Amino acid sequence: MPEDAQRDSFEAGLKPLWDRAQAGDEAAYREALARIAQRLRAYLRRRMQSLPDDLEDLVQESLLALHLQRGTHHPSVPVSHWVLAIARHKLVDLWRRRGRQDALHDPLDELDDTRMPQAVADEGPTQRDLSRLLATLPAAQQQAIVLTKIEGLSVAEASQRTGASVAAIKVQVHRGLKRLAELVRKDA
Amino acid sequence: MNTEDLITMLARQAGPAPRAAAARRLAPALAAGTALGLAGALVFMGPVPAALFAEPGLWLKLVYSAALAAAAVWWAARLARPAAATAVPGRAALAVVAAVLALGGLTLVITPAGSRLAALLGSSWAACPGNVLSLSLPTLAGALWALRGLAPTRPRLAGWAAGVLAGAVGAFSYAFACPEISPAFVAVWYTLGIGLSGALGALIGPRVLRW
Repeated sequence: MPEDAQRDSFEAGLKPLWDRAQAGDEAAYREALARIAQRLRAYLRRRMQSLPDDLEDLVQESLLALHLQRGTHHPSVPVSHWVLAIARHKLVDLWRRRGRQDALHDPLDELDDTRMPQAVADEGPTQRDLSRLLATLPAAQQQAIVLTKIEGLSVAEASQRTGASVAAIKVQVHRGLKRLAELVRKDA
Repeated sequence: MNTEDLITMLARQAGPAPRAAAARRLAPALAAGTALGLAGALVFMGPVPAALFAEPGLWLKLVYSAALAAAAVWWAARLARPAAATAVPGRAALAVVAAVLALGGLTLVITPAGSRLAALLGSSWAACPGNVLSLSLPTLAGALWALRGLAPTRPRLAGWAAGVLAGAVGAFSYAFACPEISPAFVAVWYTLGIGLSGALGALIGPRVLRW
């Protein structure tokens, strides 16, 4: 069946990148996330026909969640299953927050979304601005994120620049991203 | 911030993924919960006489609760990871309970009819489930805290597993304060206490395990 073959090819393309990403390869991680984002758009679009304006926001929310939870992926589980389980959880969570009980009647699992045309999988507009939410984080968390994850300084360089220890910078980055994910949920 | 920028930001300086994320959160919760449960049993309920450690009935409680705690922590750790297989640890927990229920039933059958009620009810059946439940509460709080920082996609079932784990720890702790030694008593009233803790976890799981 062609959809099975395409689903397998998503896993086959992602798996080697993901293994390298989990081991700390930054370029492989970026490429893996880009592929995942495209897959999430196709997956969520078919299931969010009643909430089309929220699509890209939910893609971003799912990416943030799977980054924070990447320690919960075990190599024995197909990456695609893990990714889609998180996306499905985020979708159900969004519906619940919106009080859209009727939306739960939309079919969740029996859709073939792998044959979506490429153009439809392109990035769409967002309702929510992550930069604005980032600016509301506590100063230390915000600074740690800006230095390491936006300016691209190493943790050691960020530590020198701020006078905070390497461990403290790492903790602030992690806490900041966790806080950002919480703000994203409240913002929806 | 568009999605491409977000991806760049997430990947930059990301480093390797944390290893054994579930174990690293569940282990301290379990250790602290067990310590508080044991302390609660010894301080508020009082230790059993040392001679009771010669009784197989006491060891049945310890083996039962430790085996169930092992299966339940395995189950909870699986439920904390999206798309992980959870059937085998769930069945392992069920098998431990089934084995103790069977053992309890068997001892009741071979007990002379006139002593059966005493073997079943002991002198403290009414207090036992509540005591197990109270000694489980620190572990329940800790296990739910641990799961909350992970990624449970089935919050009610994850809450149930956390509750069964906490109940098993509560039962283990209560074994050091409980004078009953009949296997039938353990099978019924200890299991009921564990079930109450499981039900409490399932009740609050969907509320607290949001992420």
